[in-house]
Amino acid sequence: MDYATSFGLIIPELVLTGSGLVLLMIAAFGGEKASRLVSILAAVALGAAGSLTIPALANGAGGDASMAFYGQISADAFSAFAKLLVYAAAIGCLMIAPGFFGQRRAMKPEYPVLVLFATLGMSIMVSATDLMTLYIGLELNSLAAYVLASFLRNDSRSAEAGLKYFVLGALASGILLYGMSLTYGFTGTTSFAGIRAAQEAGLSTGALFGLIFVLAGLAFKISAVPFHMWTPDVYQGAPTPVTTFFATAPKVAAVALTARVALDAFGSQADAWRQIVIFAALASIIVGALGAIGQNNLKRLLAYSSINNVGFILIGLAAATVEGASAMLFYLTTYVVMSLGSFVAVLMLRNGEGENLETFEDIAGLSSTRPGVALCLLALMFSLAGIPPLLGFWAKVEVFNAAIQAGLVPLAVIGIAASVIGAFYYIKFVKVMYFEEPVGRATKGGSAAHWAILIICTLLISPLGFLLTRGLQAMTDTAAAGLFPGV
Amino acid sequence: MIQAIAFYLFATMVIASGVLTIMSRNPVHSVLWLILAFFNAAGLMVLLGAEFIAMLLVVVYVGAVAVLFLFVVMMLDVDMAELRAGFIKNFPLGIAIALVLLAELVLGIGALGAGPLELGTASGANAPNLANSNIENIGALLYSKYIFVFEAAGLILLVAMIGAIVLTHRDLKTTRGHQNITKQVRRNPKEATQMKQPTVGEGVEL
Amino acid sequence: MIDLGQYLPILLFLGVALAISCVFVFLPMGVSRLTGTHNPTAEKLSEYECGFPAFEEPRSQFDVRFYLVAILFIIFDLEAAFLFPWAVSLDFTGWSGWTTMMIFIGELAIGLIYAWKVGALEWE
Repeated sequence: MDYATSFGLIIPELVLTGSGLVLLMIAAFGGEKASRLVSILAAVALGAAGSLTIPALANGAGGDASMAFYGQISADAFSAFAKLLVYAAAIGCLMIAPGFFGQRRAMKPEYPVLVLFATLGMSIMVSATDLMTLYIGLELNSLAAYVLASFLRNDSRSAEAGLKYFVLGALASGILLYGMSLTYGFTGTTSFAGIRAAQEAGLSTGALFGLIFVLAGLAFKISAVPFHMWTPDVYQGAPTPVTTFFATAPKVAAVALTARVALDAFGSQADAWRQIVIFAALASIIVGALGAIGQNNLKRLLAYSSINNVGFILIGLAAATVEGASAMLFYLTTYVVMSLGSFVAVLMLRNGEGENLETFEDIAGLSSTRPGVALCLLALMFSLAGIPPLLGFWAKVEVFNAAIQAGLVPLAVIGIAASVIGAFYYIKFVKVMYFEEPVGRATKGGSAAHWAILIICTLLISPLGFLLTRGLQAMTDTAAAGLFPGV
Repeated sequence: MIQAIAFYLFATMVIASGVLTIMSRNPVHSVLWLILAFFNAAGLMVLLGAEFIAMLLVVVYVGAVAVLFLFVVMMLDVDMAELRAGFIKNFPLGIAIALVLLAELVLGIGALGAGPLELGTASGANAPNLANSNIENIGALLYSKYIFVFEAAGLILLVAMIGAIVLTHRDLKTTRGHQNITKQVRRNPKEATQMKQPTVGEGVEL
Repeated sequence: MIDLGQYLPILLFLGVALAISCVFVFLPMGVSRLTGTHNPTAEKLSEYECGFPAFEEPRSQFDVRFYLVAILFIIFDLEAAFLFPWAVSLDFTGWSGWTTMMIFIGELAIGLIYAWKVGALEWE
C-alpha cells in the first residue's frame, strides 16, 4: 500500500484539514471582524469536500479498493453518503449562526473553525474501519462539540450544558474504550474485518462484554435510551445554532458509525447485538414520545423528538439487511431535513427586543402573527408525526417495511403503535400555534439565510419533495450495498 | 523472585493510593495521592517491559496532568462539608450502582476463564519485532502504519488548544486600560502641546 | 520477564536521594528539639491573624489563567513525548516518517501562532 493511493482516497478530509488550519490563521489575524469571512470560507470548504465525495457514491465504491492506510479507513459509498449528509447539515448550521451570535455580540471566528474540525471528526467517524480510527474521529468531534456547547460562556445555561455534555461524554468515551479494549483482547485485532473474521466461529463471553460496552458507548453518542438523559439538558442549554448542529450532523455520524460497527465489525454475530438494538429502539421510541408530552420548552421537546426518531432509525439497523441499512439511511436523511427545519423555525421566533422565544406560551396563536413560519412548522410537525403525504411518513414506511422483511413483525407492530403516541405532542404543537388566543410575542426574527433554509427544508418534506424520493432511494441502496461488500 | 516482589509492591501501592485519592478529605491531598498512584503505575509498566509508557506516565501524567489537576482544585475552592452532605444523601443510590458494577466485574472475571484468550505470547514473538527496544518498535509502527491516526491525534490536540483559549481567555485590552510604554516614552512636548494666541473675546479652536 | 538488574543504578540513585533529602528535613528538626526548650500550649499553637481568629481558608482561589497555561503546557508536553520514539526510529521510517512528524509539529505550530496572536500567552 503506497501513501499516494491512501491520500488520494481521503481527499475530502485533507481539504477539510487544510482549510481548517488556514481559517484558524485568518481567525487569529483577522479577529472578530473576520467572523463572517471565516464562516463563508468554511461553508465553501465543506461544499468542496462534499463535491469531492460524490464520485465514491456515484461509483458505488466498496471493498478493498476503497480502503486506505492498511484498512484503517474506508472511502466507500456508505461513508460518502453519510459525509454528504453531514457536510450539508454543517453548512446549514454555519449559515444560521451569524444572525444568532451577532445579536449577542458573541460571534467569534472560532465558531466556524470548530464546526469545521468537528465535521472533520465526523468524516473520519463515518469512514472508520478500525477501532483506533473510530476513537480518534469520535474524540475530534466530541472535543469540538463540548466547546461549542458552552460557546456563550457568559450564559450560565450554556456553560452548564457544556459541562454536562463533557462529563457524560467523557464517561461514554470511557465505556467505549473499555469495550474496545475487551474486543481487542479477545479477538487480537482492532480492524473491523479482523474482528469479524475472529468472531465468525463464535462469540466468547469476554468478546460479548466488549460488544455490549462498545454498543453502550455508541448508544450514548446517538442518545438512544437508556443513555439519553443528557440530551434534553444539553439541547436546551446550548445556543440554538449549536443545538441544531448537535441534532443533525453528529447524530448522522454516530448512527452511521454504529451501523458500521454493528454490521461490519460485529456483522458475523448479528443475533447477539440485535436484541440490544431492538431494546434500545423500542425504549427510545416510547421514552421519547412519553417524555415529550410534559415539556413546555420547545428545544427540550425537540430533544425528546430526536430521541424518539433515533428509535425508528434503530429499527432499520435491527433488520441487519441491505434493505434495513438503506431504510435507515433514508430515515436519517429525512430526520436531518426535518430537525434542521424545525430548529431553524424555533430560532426565528423572537420578540420585539430580539430575544429568542422558546416556550409554548410564546407561540400561542403564531399563525396570525407569523403565518409563514407557522405554516412551515405545521408541515414539519406533521412530517415528524408521520402523517401521510409528507416525507416523514414514507421514511417510516421504509423502516417498518425493512423490519417486516427481516421477520421482525412484532417490532414493527409495536413501533407503529408507539408512533401514534408520538403524534400526540406534534399535533399539540400545531394546536397551540393555530387554535389558541394569539399572544403576539413573536414579532421579529429571521434573516434571509434562516428563511432560505426553512423554505428548502419545508419543500423537501412536502409532497413536492416526494418526487425526489426515488433518487434518494437509489442513493441509499448504493450506500447500503457499500456496507455489505460480500452481498 | 525480585520481579514478583516488585510487582506486588507496586500493585499494592497503586491500589492503596487510588483508594486514598477518593477517600482523603482535602482535594489537594487527593491529587498528591494520585501522583503517587501514577508513579507506581509507571513502575508496573517498567515490569511489563513497556519503558516508553512508563516514561510517558511520569513525564505527561505526573509532570503535566497532575499539575493541571492541582490548578483546577485550587481554582474551584471546593467546600468539602457540602459535598459530604450530598454524599450521605445519595449513599443508597451509590451503593446500588456499586453493586451493579461489582456484578459486572465478577461476570467479567468469570468471562476470563470461559473465553479463549489468545494474546501474543509474553515473549512478544507474535508482535512484529522491527527493532531492538520497544520504543523503537512504537516509533516504527506509529510513523509508518498509523500515520493517519497520528496526524488526526495532532488535530485533537489543536482543537483542545483552541477550545481552552475560546473558553477561558479574556481579552484584557477591552476590560482594562492597556499601558503601552513605548508610546508613552515616545511622546514629546512638540506633538503633545500646541501654542495658541487667541484674541480677546474669541474662543480657541483645536 | 524483564531483566531488572539494569535498573539497579537508578534504584540506588533513588535510595541515596531519599536518604539525603530525609537528612535535610529531619536533622534540623531533631537538633532543634534536642537543643531548644519545648513546652507548647494551646495558646501558642493557635493561628494568629492581627488579633482576630482567622475567618477564611488560608488557600485563596487561583486565577483561571493558570489553568490555560497548564493546558497549553500539557499539549506541548505531549508533542515532546511523541518526539522520542520518532527520533530513535528514523532508521526504519525514513523520509516519510520525518515528513509525518513535520506535519504534526506544523499543526501544533499553527496552534501556537493562534495562541500567541490572540494573546493567550500574555499575563497582563
